[in-house]
Amino acid sequence: MSEKISFTFNGIQVQCEPGQSIAAAVINTGTLSLRTTRFGEEPRSIFCGIGICFDCVVVVDGVANQRACLVTAQSGMKVESRS
Amino acid sequence: MIIVIGAGPAGLAAAEAAARNGSDVALIDSAPRIGGQYWRHRTEVSGYRSDRAEALFTKIRASRSITYISEASVWSIERDGTLIRVNYLQGTTESSLTAEKLIIATGAYDRSLPFPGWNQPGSMTPGAAQALYKGHGVLAGKRIVVAGTGPFLLPVATALAEAGVEIVGLYEAHSPLRWALSPVALIFNLSKFAELIYYWRLLAKHGIRPQFGQVVTSFADGRATISHVDSDFQVKGKRAQTVEVDAVAVGWGFLPDLTLGGIAGCRQRVVSDGTTVFDVDRNQLSSQPNVWIAGEATGIGGADLSLLEGEIAGLAASGHEIPSRLRIKRYAKELFAQALSRSYPIRDGWKSWSNEETVICRCEEVTLANIKESVVELGAEDSRTAKLFTRAGMGLCQGRVCSRNVAEIVAGLTGCSVSDEERIASSNRPIAAPISLGLLGDGKK
Repeated sequence: MSEKISFTFNGIQVQCEPGQSIAAAVINTGTLSLRTTRFGEEPRSIFCGIGICFDCVVVVDGVANQRACLVTAQSGMKVESRS
Repeated sequence: MIIVIGAGPAGLAAAEAAARNGSDVALIDSAPRIGGQYWRHRTEVSGYRSDRAEALFTKIRASRSITYISEASVWSIERDGTLIRVNYLQGTTESSLTAEKLIIATGAYDRSLPFPGWNQPGSMTPGAAQALYKGHGVLAGKRIVVAGTGPFLLPVATALAEAGVEIVGLYEAHSPLRWALSPVALIFNLSKFAELIYYWRLLAKHGIRPQFGQVVTSFADGRATISHVDSDFQVKGKRAQTVEVDAVAVGWGFLPDLTLGGIAGCRQRVVSDGTTVFDVDRNQLSSQPNVWIAGEATGIGGADLSLLEGEIAGLAASGHEIPSRLRIKRYAKELFAQALSRSYPIRDGWKSWSNEETVICRCEEVTLANIKESVVELGAEDSRTAKLFTRAGMGLCQGRVCSRNVAEIVAGLTGCSVSDEERIASSNRPIAAPISLGLLGDGKK
């Protein structure tokens, strides 16, 4: 088996298989919500799952508006719901 | 050289046909592996007739004329004299490719309709549940409801069941008897019965009994409400039931991804069910010289039609005659595509599922009440004006998810129908993916 990938989501350590997206890795831990909305502060998760809807956007290593369903998790990444 | 954008069935067939006929091909795709949404996989393709995928993959991998560029997000297309330049991002690195010819095969994405709770985590499209499992090996939940309309619900429900998910319900809004409206299409596509039997056996194996004429009308905190609807999608009777689920996967057919072809200036048209598609000739050539379009972006028809259109586009772009057997096969699949839209139409009754607080535009959190206010109080007479008042469709997804729904809701309130111009205008986007101004400045030479 290949090495596990390890990154943080809102400061919490997440482990996943190489090649898994950030969204898949976080959802696999049992956490559905990936961010809260600007106005209603409501939780959101993946919706379209293929990069169309931008509902799952997170901050990856300080870069905002990254689609968690598309970005492959890398070891050492710092993923946050908001900057 | 020929650039092919999209490595799903249409793009792969186009690349293979063009390379077979002596052209050099650059195949660009946003995913880490070829296959597109339909043949999404981690190690190998599963599902109905996956042997076709493996055969095509083998040819693509073996071809020395095909350069495959993965995880590349194309954000713009421009003309440079007679050449076509495609600009793309890989992570935060911007690159570009230039060629004489371009084949666009960007596919489609799930169409969604709003209902209370469709914006809650756990509510997703069937495509999302499928992608999560097939692409990443992760299940969206232990107990899932699959609902909406169209044959795509079958591969999703059966694939999730095979992966160990308990399919709490499989709800198809329409009656299967609608297929009786399309006898000719069925006679010309008898192979589809084999596909149906394949799924039927899998459903039986997992004890899933599809329910017809029912839809998900709300989802909150792990509870989904299932209601009976009439043929216009209006909720009827009071026999709604509540089921406990981790997730609902609800989809209403597909919408062509028009973004890149639109940027390339390719002419669009509106087909009878109101879907905007690219206008192509019998060789899949678009209104733009040296730009061909194949697959779902020219109209929703499924993988069989996409493969044929891709092959025709690849042959045409590499300057070859199109054998008439390909055109005949394509015609049969077009008949089937028309039967699909006749069998699974989206009816106006969906608008009654939302209440005043239901979010219609997910990105900008615009509710049904906001849209009503823009029409009734502020006097918006079309979806463009309503959009300017409410910001519906102006968020990060650029209206891909909601613009058609917003247009239909506004039309319902004003008593008008949505014009073709309005439908086409709402799919016009200047840039395909968000890009920082820094990259925009640095990338240019």
